[in-house]
Amino acid sequence: MACKYPESLMANEVVDHGRRRFLTATTAVVGGVGVVAAAVPFIKSWEPSARAKAAGAPVTQSLKKIEAGQQLIVAWRSLPVFIVHRSPEQLAALPKQDPRLVDPKSNGSSAGQQPAYAQNETRSIKPEWLVMVGICTHLGCVPNYVGEMKPEPFDPNWQGGYYCPCHHSRYDMAGRVYQGVPAPMNMQIPPYHFVDENTVQIGVDPKGAA
Amino acid sequence: MANAFTRWFDERAPGLAPTYRKHMTEYYAPKNFNLWYYFGSLALLVLVNQILTGIFLTMNYDPSATGAFDSVQYIMRDVEWGWLIRYMHTTGASLFFVVVFLHMFRGLLYGSYKKPRELVWVLGMLIFLVLMAEAFMGYVLPWGNMSFWGAKVITSLFGTIPVIGKDLVEWIVGDYLPADATLNRFFALHVIALPLVLLLLVVLHLAALHEVGSNNPDGVDVKHGPKGNRWDALKPADAIPFHPYYTVKDLVGVGVFLIVAAFIIFFAPTFGGWFLEHDNAIPANNLVTPAQIKPVWYFTAFYAIVRMVPSFAGTAVWGVIAMFGSIALLFALPWIDAGKVKSVRYRGTGYKVALAVFVVSFLCLAIIGMDLTDEYLPRIFGSDIDLTTWDNVIGRIMTLAYFGFFVFLWLYTHLGWEKTKPVPERVTTHD
Amino acid sequence: MTKRLISTILLSLGLLLGSASSWAEEGPELPAAGNNLRDQASLQRGAHLFFNYCVGCHSLKYLRYSRMAEDLHLSEQDVMQNLNFTGAKFDDPVVSHMPAELATKAFGKDPPDLSLEVSAKGADWVYGYLNAFYLDPKSPIGWNNTVLPNAAMPFPLWKLQGEQTAVMSKDGKQVEKLELSHPGELTPAQYQQATRDLVNFLDYASEPAALQRHAYGVWVVLFLVLFTFLAFLLKKEYWKDVH
Repeated sequence: MACKYPESLMANEVVDHGRRRFLTATTAVVGGVGVVAAAVPFIKSWEPSARAKAAGAPVTQSLKKIEAGQQLIVAWRSLPVFIVHRSPEQLAALPKQDPRLVDPKSNGSSAGQQPAYAQNETRSIKPEWLVMVGICTHLGCVPNYVGEMKPEPFDPNWQGGYYCPCHHSRYDMAGRVYQGVPAPMNMQIPPYHFVDENTVQIGVDPKGAA
Repeated sequence: MANAFTRWFDERAPGLAPTYRKHMTEYYAPKNFNLWYYFGSLALLVLVNQILTGIFLTMNYDPSATGAFDSVQYIMRDVEWGWLIRYMHTTGASLFFVVVFLHMFRGLLYGSYKKPRELVWVLGMLIFLVLMAEAFMGYVLPWGNMSFWGAKVITSLFGTIPVIGKDLVEWIVGDYLPADATLNRFFALHVIALPLVLLLLVVLHLAALHEVGSNNPDGVDVKHGPKGNRWDALKPADAIPFHPYYTVKDLVGVGVFLIVAAFIIFFAPTFGGWFLEHDNAIPANNLVTPAQIKPVWYFTAFYAIVRMVPSFAGTAVWGVIAMFGSIALLFALPWIDAGKVKSVRYRGTGYKVALAVFVVSFLCLAIIGMDLTDEYLPRIFGSDIDLTTWDNVIGRIMTLAYFGFFVFLWLYTHLGWEKTKPVPERVTTHD
Repeated sequence: MTKRLISTILLSLGLLLGSASSWAEEGPELPAAGNNLRDQASLQRGAHLFFNYCVGCHSLKYLRYSRMAEDLHLSEQDVMQNLNFTGAKFDDPVVSHMPAELATKAFGKDPPDLSLEVSAKGADWVYGYLNAFYLDPKSPIGWNNTVLPNAAMPFPLWKLQGEQTAVMSKDGKQVEKLELSHPGELTPAQYQQATRDLVNFLDYASEPAALQRHAYGVWVVLFLVLFTFLAFLLKKEYWKDVH
């Protein structure tokens, strides 16, 4: 419409404030929903990508060449996973450590550090095979495997286990943390199962155990 | 509660609330803006989109000659929603130019570049220039075959400069052909350097505008008209507060624009090869030039001018000079056009015709630059015509028309040939 | 003014899209592929064709088996037993096992990766190409192609299509048309459908996100229409103040 000489100082007509408020609120809510919805793809784009998920897929490892007392490190989701073939001596020493440990039964502070099927004295499915994420529960360093049972500078009565170079946390041969060190919890046991006698797959629970 | 909060802020940052008022609630804009006045705010919207999606693209893009192409496919396939973020960026790039071209044409229609808005215009032209550099470098990043050859051809433009040309190209490219070093520096310029300049220029563009106030389709300066409106007795009678009136109006424009953009993003992201070119789905190959090498659509008009100017005196620099001249003349528009009347509504017939010819010449050059003449000309003149000759004849006429616009405008206004219509004292319409 | 602007914009958009055939334009007129990404059965048939006839030489290095299974509604077991013959893992991309040197020796060049073939050449081109092989005694590989003259690839689908021979123009320089001189396992109509399926699968492989795009796009546009309508009402309400 054309109005050549607008009467600008007309302030006397009635403004429907209710309708105005309602429309403002509705548009704002719908617009807000739109902005939130538009944010979702951006937030989701930070999820692990298909490539990361593919790289984090379960890892299968043959156990044939790991001798008793030896450790093999494999990468699963970029994490170092220790696979240790524990010798009978190392296994025998485990229960004796209990009094010196923070959480020997892994049911206290470490209750969430292993799947239910590995919540036992050896923290494993089969006693001789330890499968463990090799990350110190203190600040995330990778502890050294010190498997031999002989006096060490940090422990004259060493029964084999792990020693963290960063802040000197110590763990036994089941990744259970000793008392008096900075690390608060036992090291983590990942989901894993035995595909057959000599093959372990990391990243997948055994059938029937979720 | 709200009051206590505002007071807390006002005590600590006394400048904030007045700034908001100055640019929003107490920025008075002429009330007769028409459709052409949507494109400024839309350009701002696209800029925000480009920055936001651009930041997320850099998170997964690999700026190396070996990794760039793969990383784009990684974004398109492996990153969750990566395809959407990329298409928002690529579609945004093209729509940026759509919006900016229309925004600039608005300036030509209503004389928005004229006194006292010369600075607003020059800052806007600088934005356009930076935008072209930004778009070109962004286009190189996917490192497809069009990216590579686009980089090769555009950098070669600098090679036409006598004496220093060859060394200059090597310096720009950092190698003997566009290579890893080129990609790296273009990436740095595209994601950080040029966006910073762009943002600064946009702030200055808006600051300069709000200092002098917006023009309008009548070209009437509302500041010099009568005072007093229903909001403020001292403000121009023909103006209304930007907020809420133009914010809600622009919101409608944003809605329509987003519908168009969403349609392209979700249903035609390559836009038939115009927004994303087919040959760029082939990795960069320095041994094979794409059969159809041409710039993206928004550069084609300027690029066609390069082609239309023959080389002589042993150098091809004239075409490049003409191309840069075609942009430089736009910078000088406020001084080339000495007409006192702003809006095309009240200008002489000569200006109307000249502007129409200018637009036609720009569109024709764009079409020639897109190599569409191969397709259109035979339809019009039959299939046995000599395409190259026709291409050149039409292209040269259009190049002359493009430059002729500025020459004509100077003569027309400086020699007093223009017969204008009387300009009304008040703005006439609004919708 | 407004109407004129809108009609001008629409008209120029129409012109642009109408002339959007900036694919490689030389060579004969191409038939329309007429494939449909929404046709799951066609995509599945196309996938089977690809993994039976193409993957021996051509990779789809940007497409993971797992992604394909999800998008094409194929089970992991089905993909791993019936499509994956290279021993790749389910999450791996589709990589041909042909050693590069062998390929170069056999064809003079590497068989190209086909992940982006349809993006680069267009569905019509690939469809036309697969229907344009003919016996050519002058060619070192015995085959030639009207869409891509002197193609390096011997015709891998000849058992399906049969053998075509070229009818030359009078001056003997151009191929006028192709004739089926030896029928194959499929009728011509069946063969066209098979290549349409294969092109459909390659079209999908060049942009798997297209399936998501179409699914979400409708809702996004509808939502924006609602928002714009509300904004329009709001604008009208406020602009009652302006005279």
